Amino acid sequence: MTPSDARSRPIIEVKNIRKEYPIGDETVVALKRINLNVMRGEICCIFGTSGSGKSTLLNQLAGMEKPTRGEVLIGGVPISRLNENQLASFRQRHLGFVFQSYNLLPNLTATENVAMPLLFRGVPKAQREAAARKLLCRVGLSHRLDHFPRQMSGGQQQRAGIARAFIARPDVVFADEPTGNLDSKTTVEIMNMICTFARDYHQTIILVTHDPEMASYAHRIVTLIDGEIVSNQVNHKEKSRHET
Amino acid sequence: MRKKDLLRICLQNLMRRRSRTFLTVLGVLIGCCSIVIMVSLGIGMKETQEKLLSEMGDLTIITVSAPQKGKGKVKLDDALVKRLRNMDGVVGVSPKQTLEVDSIRLLAGTGNRYVADWTSVVGMDTGEMERLGYRILNGSAAKRDGEVVIGEFLAYSFKDTLRPEGRNMIDRWAGELDDNGQPTQLPPPYFDPMKTTLTMEIATASGTIKLPVTPAGVMKEDYSKGYETSEGMIMSLTDLRKLLDKVQGPAKKKLPYDSVLVKVSSIDRVADIEQEIKAMGYGTESMESIRKPMEKEARQKQMMLGGLGAISLFVAALGITNTMIMSISERTREIGIMKALGCYVSDVRIMFLSEAGAIGLIGGVIGCIISFIASVIINLVSIGLSPENIPAAILGGEGINRVSVIPPWLLIFAIVFSVFIGLGSGYYPANKAVQIPALEAIKSE
Repeated sequence: MTPSDARSRPIIEVKNIRKEYPIGDETVVALKRINLNVMRGEICCIFGTSGSGKSTLLNQLAGMEKPTRGEVLIGGVPISRLNENQLASFRQRHLGFVFQSYNLLPNLTATENVAMPLLFRGVPKAQREAAARKLLCRVGLSHRLDHFPRQMSGGQQQRAGIARAFIARPDVVFADEPTGNLDSKTTVEIMNMICTFARDYHQTIILVTHDPEMASYAHRIVTLIDGEIVSNQVNHKEKSRHET
Repeated sequence: MRKKDLLRICLQNLMRRRSRTFLTVLGVLIGCCSIVIMVSLGIGMKETQEKLLSEMGDLTIITVSAPQKGKGKVKLDDALVKRLRNMDGVVGVSPKQTLEVDSIRLLAGTGNRYVADWTSVVGMDTGEMERLGYRILNGSAAKRDGEVVIGEFLAYSFKDTLRPEGRNMIDRWAGELDDNGQPTQLPPPYFDPMKTTLTMEIATASGTIKLPVTPAGVMKEDYSKGYETSEGMIMSLTDLRKLLDKVQGPAKKKLPYDSVLVKVSSIDRVADIEQEIKAMGYGTESMESIRKPMEKEARQKQMMLGGLGAISLFVAALGITNTMIMSISERTREIGIMKALGCYVSDVRIMFLSEAGAIGLIGGVIGCIISFIASVIINLVSIGLSPENIPAAILGGEGINRVSVIPPWLLIFAIVFSVFIGLGSGYYPANKAVQIPALEAIKSE
């Protein structure tokens, strides 16, 4: 089943996930028994303090790590059971990432960075860079197309990062503390941008944060403490509906 | 990913750390140069040796002689010649028979003014002469009865009977000698034997036989073929047989040949054919017995030199591995990001392997160019530094002994080898890169 024909069912299904890490002789349980469904088009915030297991959960959701038990389905595909190659091809088509530290490749220009997911798919250079330029203009970086990351401010780099996450029109975009390194004014800009993209393309956003202010952008807030979901509520006061 | 994109990324990454790439390439380059130069010296040595040997005698000629005493009853006769001629790989055969007499004189000029007191007369299949490596300098091989091919310096064995004893011969060694001990310029002989008829005078028990012979050509002196090429003459076997009959009286039975010369199609068949003839019970002689050990020695030297070169290329390989490992540990995060964004594992591997391979390729190509230039310079120094010697230094030629010889296969081999060294030394780092998890992208620094 491909994610697109799964309209009625949740795009992300987390079933009984448990994650343990061996540290020395001991075993640390990072996630205890997580069950979670995220619907298509939803902006879901995973909220928690550091050490709550929110990053670990993100890793499981994005297929970066395999859970010790349980499974994760994205659009019906059990990504926790895919091998490296299947995972790469799944990521190319269905997943996007926005990182806290932007993670643009330092030796590539903004355009090349944004075009990268298409590069891995084998899209010809002219075509993928045209798409990248278009998207960079949309995020307000039309004057930074051929700049390298070191020539751009943090906010600008993160905008390029967002353009990169959305260029392949993924079903799900994972944003790990996307504004963690930014000032409050830029934070608002960035969050609005993410929410606008998500709404325009009916994409699902998984937002991981420890900042309650950020959580307020989400449709749903999942709170984690010590590897367990302590609350999973719909956010009625979400900002993303009213602003932009 | 597309091949074009992979190539672009590979070059971009190499250009990123220019000085490091340069130094690594330099390592490969030096390794490649040392292999090429060392092997080329070995080949040069072998070539010089082969030239030396071929000056001593034709390398593809086997001389078949009568079996040693007590070893069977095989004879050097026409049946053998026929058999040899039908052997696979044999391109020319001629029996050889020497005229053995007590006294033989050659007379020439008006009133037989010029006299040679002794000469060597050999009979052979004159049609096969050129195929057997006799070089006719002037005129042609003997075709008709009474025609002979004379040795290069036959003219100098004549003395002028009208001049006083002691000053009646021309000494061709009297002038200046060159490095090889050969006269630089030959003094003109008393007469040109090609333009006269010579009279052979043979003393036998029953009287003196006089036989006129016409020189049809002059052959180049070649001591490996016998004295007759210098101051003797070669006539056809039929003529010689007739002469022998006259000298010894009608023979009861045909004399066996002294030896049979066999020309083999190529140098690597000599050993087989020689073996085959030996198996028939004959004695054989060829340059093979000298060439083989010399070749073996040359090959050993070549291996040694090549091995020395290979060591430096091996060191260069360690350099590549080191560079790649450094670059991977620097790029750990990048690799994580690429994987998180959907880069295939195989593409990551190809990316790093191609970087290592490219270092090998660039080093190999530049190394080959440099060693080629170095080889030309080495040769120029040994031949003589002047612009007109450049083609000779590159291509070699008759009478030119190149110290360093680079055949095209050596260059191709060196480049291919360098690329493989690059790929080989990139294998381990590339595997390391492949194992970096996508998770690296998320880890905060």
